[in-house]
Amino acid sequence: MIFQKKASHFVIAVLFLVGGLAPFALRQYQVAMLTEIIFFALYAVSYNLLLGYAGLLSFGHAMFFGTGAFTAAVALVCIPGISIWSDIFLAVLMAILVGLVVGSLLLRTKGAYFALLTLAFNSLFYVVATKWSSVTGGDDGLSITRPNISIGSITIQLAGITSFYYFTLVIIGMAIVFCWYFTHTAMGRTVLLIRENEERMNFLGYNTHISRLLLFVFTGAAAGLAGAFYSLHFQFVSISAISVDMTTTVLLMAFVGGTGTFWGPILGTFVYIIVQSYLSDLTDHWPLFMGLIFVFMVLVMPGGLSQIIQKIPGVFSGKSGDEPGDRVVTEETIL
Amino acid sequence: MTDCLEIIDVYKDYSGLAVLSGVQFTVKRKERHAVIGPNGAGKTTLFNIISGKFRASSGTIRFKGQDISRKSAYALNRLGISRSFQITNVFQELSVFENIRSGVRSRYGLRYHFLRKPDSNARINERTAAIAENLGLKDVLHVPVSALSYGQQRALEIGIALSTDPDLILLDEPTAGMTREETVQAIETIDRVTAGLTLIIIEHDMDVVFSLADTISVLHYGKILISGAPDIIRSDQRVKDAYLGEDHL
Ligand SMILES: Nc1ncnc2c1ncn2[C@@H]1O[C@H](COP(=O)(O)OP(=O)(O)OP(=O)(O)O)[C@@H](O)[C@H]1O
Ligand SMILES: [Mg+2]
Repeated sequence: MIFQKKASHFVIAVLFLVGGLAPFALRQYQVAMLTEIIFFALYAVSYNLLLGYAGLLSFGHAMFFGTGAFTAAVALVCIPGISIWSDIFLAVLMAILVGLVVGSLLLRTKGAYFALLTLAFNSLFYVVATKWSSVTGGDDGLSITRPNISIGSITIQLAGITSFYYFTLVIIGMAIVFCWYFTHTAMGRTVLLIRENEERMNFLGYNTHISRLLLFVFTGAAAGLAGAFYSLHFQFVSISAISVDMTTTVLLMAFVGGTGTFWGPILGTFVYIIVQSYLSDLTDHWPLFMGLIFVFMVLVMPGGLSQIIQKIPGVFSGKSGDEPGDRVVTEETIL
Repeated sequence: MTDCLEIIDVYKDYSGLAVLSGVQFTVKRKERHAVIGPNGAGKTTLFNIISGKFRASSGTIRFKGQDISRKSAYALNRLGISRSFQITNVFQELSVFENIRSGVRSRYGLRYHFLRKPDSNARINERTAAIAENLGLKDVLHVPVSALSYGQQRALEIGIALSTDPDLILLDEPTAGMTREETVQAIETIDRVTAGLTLIIIEHDMDVVFSLADTISVLHYGKILISGAPDIIRSDQRVKDAYLGEDHL
């Protein structure tokens, strides 16, 4: 396992600490890039709850991300003076609604049908976003201005790169920590048990369709939150936010990092964003190279980067403090 | 009302192949009821219908007086019906503890909670450990199923069935693949851990069946040939002809 339970607390603390200090050591454009890494990491983590934990291959995660991104942007345009909290809340709410509607329609599907139907729904959302240009801005996209935070009489400026970075670190950071916590909750374990043996779960009193729906909605809400930060960060949103490309992006991030662990996709996002920014400076054909890297990864190390790290003995692993001798697959491969 | 389960005129066919054609018998509360019959007689199919895996083509099933013919598996489990499988059907990659706890926490209503952790629920963990201990799995509590011996896996199969605290437990050939001694041992364990529950067991070993069961139902060509106390079954000519060899009598 990449991080043991106690070690996970430590890693979370270190990540927040490093994240808190990073702006002092980085240039502005790097701080902006780190902001991007953080909300994309939530996007990838939420995706991996479907793929790695529940074993559900979805090609439709961008419909949540895009819904969050567009809702946040459209609300800022249409509701003058809306607070950033209400804006984010609306974005997540819309993602939840999308999850409930689409999820109910996909309730009984799994495997290839599930993958294809999510792809179809994502394409549908993309078409709607393109055609509904009076609201979404169509091909031109929507420009917005990030609002400030006001708590009572105190106002925190969010216009600056660094202040928005800290806002992202706290809010998205907490969301990622909650996702990690989720994997230990009753629901988190249920999802995993269903992946292992859905039939037996039925005979133990679990409604597995409802479980999948709940997970779908939850991961959708998290992706929607990430999408809202995407809009707020770039102060711009275009239909690429809801395109199938955006789904491919999250698939790549998760795969590069490794879907067998909780933290893998975060690592994957980090590497993905940095490599992408590096490549796109060098060549316009960067998607081609990203594609080649992906093919290479899948062929050579299907477990992703975290698999390599796991193989370096003693780097991250120690003896588990909580459950001695517990060699459960879920603790082993998915923590 | 002393009947736990009433099976009334149940038919089942798989796209034309008639497997059950008018099965009828009742199981009293706290009864130890054995279902016997040759291979392919439809015993597992009957369990699949009672437990909600499949629906009967026609007929009615009542559990404690309530018609349950149209209920799904998870709902039936919550009503108090639990089952084991002829072919071990557990969570292979997970520990014995988590296997059993899956049912225990279901029984305690901790199924879909987004905040509460099963790890920090003492009652659930104690109950889980107690079930494992009862079945002799205490020493392998944190071992993944794939590392267990066959006998331990069969014990776990029963442990999972017990984990939701059922009123009615259906055990489908719990001793399948065991030697004679292992079978006798396993039946003793089953008799002990299911004390106080209504038990329906499918079992091929006749000596075991006659010593364990209060009532035996003989399933033959999709119908119940006869259902009654071991003595009656033993002396029934039709059963002799159809199923039991002379050496059993
Ligand atoms: N899902 C299914 N689809 C089609 N036919 C089935 C199905 N399940 C069982 N059958 C058929 O129904 C008949 C009865 O099968 P069943 O498994 O109920 O018998 P059984 O009495 O449990 O036998 P055994 O002692 O071998 O376990 C068999 O002919 C079997 O092939
Ligand atoms: Mg059978």
